[in-house]
Amino acid sequence: MTELYRLRSVTKRYGSNVAVDIDALTIDSGRLYTLTGANGAGKSTLLGILSFLLPPTTGELFYAGERIDWKSDSLMRCRRKVTLLHQSPYLFGGTVFRNVAYGLKARGIAGEATLRAVDRALETVGLEGFRDRDARELSGGEAQRAALARALALDPEVLLLDEPLANIDRETAVLLERVIASLPSRGTTVVMTTHDPDHPARLSGGSIVLDGGKVAPPRDPVPA
Amino acid sequence: MDFLVSSFAAALRLIGSFSPDVVDAVRTSLFVSAGATVFAALLGIPVGLLVGLSDFPLKRLVVTILNTLMAVPTVVVGLLGYGFLSRQGPLGVLGLLFTPTAIVIGGTLLAAPIVANYALASARGADPRIVPTALTLGAGRLRAVGTLVGEIRFGILAAVIAGFGRVVAEVGVAMMLGGNIRGYTRTMTTAIALETSKGEFSFGMALGIVLMTIALIVNLFLSFLQRR
Repeated sequence: MTELYRLRSVTKRYGSNVAVDIDALTIDSGRLYTLTGANGAGKSTLLGILSFLLPPTTGELFYAGERIDWKSDSLMRCRRKVTLLHQSPYLFGGTVFRNVAYGLKARGIAGEATLRAVDRALETVGLEGFRDRDARELSGGEAQRAALARALALDPEVLLLDEPLANIDRETAVLLERVIASLPSRGTTVVMTTHDPDHPARLSGGSIVLDGGKVAPPRDPVPA
Repeated sequence: MDFLVSSFAAALRLIGSFSPDVVDAVRTSLFVSAGATVFAALLGIPVGLLVGLSDFPLKRLVVTILNTLMAVPTVVVGLLGYGFLSRQGPLGVLGLLFTPTAIVIGGTLLAAPIVANYALASARGADPRIVPTALTLGAGRLRAVGTLVGEIRFGILAAVIAGFGRVVAEVGVAMMLGGNIRGYTRTMTTAIALETSKGEFSFGMALGIVLMTIALIVNLFLSFLQRR
């Protein structure tokens, strides 16, 4: 395992409210981390920082040994290695294909390579044959799967998932959990927020617990 | 009542017979309105999006000014335009006064604030997840904004249509900057004003029917877009 992220004295403030206040945190590559904590503990804010979308108020963030300069052009290069899947993902108007191919197109990938990547990603999440469907007409579970496919098509180094298993039916949740759990074996680092107390133990990865914006010692798993 | 009914019937006959004066006025109206709408869109959409999507000092003041500009009477715009384009004005050497171009310029000034305000409202009402989603998928800032514009395209189109509606129905600018020259700068609205004052009520009514039909089509289209 090699160190992928290192946070040093990172804070994020919104006015007088301190959303995140982390002295030190490291995240290794190729592992699956569950990120837990009460509502308002700073989980989504931390994901925003890790996805390079939300600059911290103070502190330093290192990615693969490189100190992140939030104002430089290299930020885009780092951002393209990381994909964040929001809790309630937004699907662009148009077809499922347009959505899943979006990131590939942004990277200048087109033609047959796009088709293959889109089909593979859709197959991974069980949405074969959905390529030409209207994205806005998908059910909640299908939309969540399409959004995950959109992230997987990019084969990111890091996948950040904000409660990906909330608000979906059990069958879809089981499928997505299986897909997510398989990602570290492909070399993808996963950080997933969850409220399910069983996830840290079941997904057998690292655990990050946030309490009032600070990293707290991991809690013992709740006995089954 | 008979007067209205007979005038209405005569108006329909004029429309049906494609009276050259009616056709000329309709053509001029559509031409200058389309021209003004294009320029108003080029001006208003970027301004509306810029104000709607960014935060800067005095933003509230800028929004208030844009709102105020929507309510400027057409004759005031005509007056200002006249001041600039008349022979003694700073742009008098261009010789644009009493030409269709002058009406297009005035119409642009009238419609641009409307287009900008509609575009601003669309940008403000856009789903806040669009840009972060585009960015996390690897889009640059420009592509992300382009994606947002694509997502709110019906709102933008509604802005353009509202601008067209404003220009096609106005009379002050067309009268003061166009001069109401028959077959050249006479629009539907200026023709209605002139012909009615001459007692040609049925002619005015014919153009009124065409104008109302255009306004109806524009508004039906606008309602359709706003429901999407």
